[in-house]
Amino acid sequence: MLAPLVPAAISPEDEALRSEVRAFLAERLAGVPGALRARTWMGFDADFSRDLAARGWVGLTLPVEFGGGGRSPFARFVLIEELLAAGAPVAAHWIAERQSAPLLLRYGTEAQRQDIVPRICRGEAFFCIGMSEPNSGSDLASVRTRAERTATGWRLNGSKIWTTYGHKAHYMVALVRTSGGPDDRQSGLSQLLIDLKTPGVTARPIRDLAGDEHFSEVFFEDVDLPEDALIGQEGQGWSQVNAELAFERSGPERLYSSTVLIDEWMDFIRSRGGPTESEAELAGRMLARLATLRNMSLAVTGQLARGESPVVEASMVKDLGASFEQSIPALITDHLASVEGPVPAPLLATLDYLAGMSPTFSLRGGTREILRGIIARGLGLR
Amino acid sequence: MSDDLFLDSFRKLLDGLGADPWPELSASGFLDVLRPEAEGGAGLDLSGLFPLAFETGRRSEPPAIVQTLLARLVDPEALDCADAAPVLAAGGVPAETARALCAAADAAVMAGLIDSLQAMTLDHASTRRQFGREISKFQAIQHQIAVMAEEVMAARMAAETALMGAPLEVSVAATAVAKLRCGEAALVCSGVAHAVHGAIGVSAEHALHRYTGALHRLRLSHGGEAWWARRLGEWALSQREDAATLARSL
Repeated sequence: MLAPLVPAAISPEDEALRSEVRAFLAERLAGVPGALRARTWMGFDADFSRDLAARGWVGLTLPVEFGGGGRSPFARFVLIEELLAAGAPVAAHWIAERQSAPLLLRYGTEAQRQDIVPRICRGEAFFCIGMSEPNSGSDLASVRTRAERTATGWRLNGSKIWTTYGHKAHYMVALVRTSGGPDDRQSGLSQLLIDLKTPGVTARPIRDLAGDEHFSEVFFEDVDLPEDALIGQEGQGWSQVNAELAFERSGPERLYSSTVLIDEWMDFIRSRGGPTESEAELAGRMLARLATLRNMSLAVTGQLARGESPVVEASMVKDLGASFEQSIPALITDHLASVEGPVPAPLLATLDYLAGMSPTFSLRGGTREILRGIIARGLGLR
Repeated sequence: MSDDLFLDSFRKLLDGLGADPWPELSASGFLDVLRPEAEGGAGLDLSGLFPLAFETGRRSEPPAIVQTLLARLVDPEALDCADAAPVLAAGGVPAETARALCAAADAAVMAGLIDSLQAMTLDHASTRRQFGREISKFQAIQHQIAVMAEEVMAARMAAETALMGAPLEVSVAATAVAKLRCGEAALVCSGVAHAVHGAIGVSAEHALHRYTGALHRLRLSHGGEAWWARRLGEWALSQREDAATLARSL
């Protein structure tokens, strides 16, 4: 049995950030249609990321000496729940800020920390994460992309696929094999820092079902990397990656992917006068799920703030959150299909986008099956 | 008394109750914990009631302690009260508050029952052997129990959030979330618990049905999922706020 989550509250100091962020977003996102806002952490807008950074809102929890804000995880919770609920396009800086900067601060050389982390905080260095390969998806330990030692560092060959914004990022942190073969599984894997301008790297976007180019295939042909491209310990890539995934799974980004649609739907219902019983019931069911998930996510943030590593709890919130986010377009489709009279075209466009893309919510950052395996291990079942 | 000692003595009391529990319960003082200290109570607010209601739920078929505790807010002599709502209403508490208070307390009892379902299910899955190994080693079982664990966490969080502040100022909206969410979790967890226990779990002598039966009866009391969902939705749609802002207030 797991220890129960301890309800957490946001301090007034951290809560004070909310009105500033809301005012900024109200101005910046005015007139942006819901279907675009629904892309949120899949929406790439470098100018938007730099404008956030200019306000100190990229790297909010990172140390001040590296250009960060030195604030608590709760301040970041406030910031990102506002960004995501409003549907701000945050993909450009998202991975660098959430995962890569903490990784470099922990394992990077002093030169990398001094050079790259401040640029992440200024919204100038964007990262992607090179994990999946053509034959390695959830079975990440089977990766075949390989780095061989050379006199001056490493020579990299292979390819990565489904890499989010691999064709737009400046750097990749890749999980690659540095010794042994695929049968050696988790041992012999390392994390490498790759400047994507290095000769021999090519990236090609892959069009998704909504017509966007949010992910890509990245090829490495005799790419020569310096000695310090190795992040952390050689052969420790697996455990480093898992520590990093805990960051990815613990945030409130797993609750708000469909809230733009809920908001547009609620506005539509309000515009038609008093809700019917079934409309009120649907609104209530969605809101009860959202409120409970938010309180759970806040409790996980409290664990992070206390220095704990809530890997299992974060997986539970992500799994439950993804199921919630996926249920929204299905429930709203069912309701709108039974409405007399016209449905606003912008609402339908948001619905179409999320109906198409919502299956990804339980794929990225660890599939539903992987997460349930982690939870089962946490419960002592495996 | 520290919180831990307080809860520990309540657990001992529950575990030691005899055939006629009410004289012992009355003498213990636990039935008056919500009453003002000046009147011999402990002056606890709802956050103090939560662990007591949760512990009560973990014991499947306890006497009606939680509803009696609530009834004593207006009737110091109340004993063995199955439903505090009419007592509270007769005592001058607005009907809406009375119902919400009872439903929020139901939710906390349900969260406790659900917690016990998980403990029983984990225990059974880890000891029952089929196909030459414990059934907990099968991925299909592991994933069902993982889903159950998520619902256990969600139910407890929703109930604990609703039980905050002074009893007569209970939040109707937070209660709606709690009763609805615990009702949904009760269905999922009862289903998984019975699936994992197999035929053993539906025998009269096995304790499982006492827990799932208690959950079923609590889903029926003080408003079900759809009833509370409609109340919550009517409130949400009458506000000019976005979903995230509404959720933050719950």
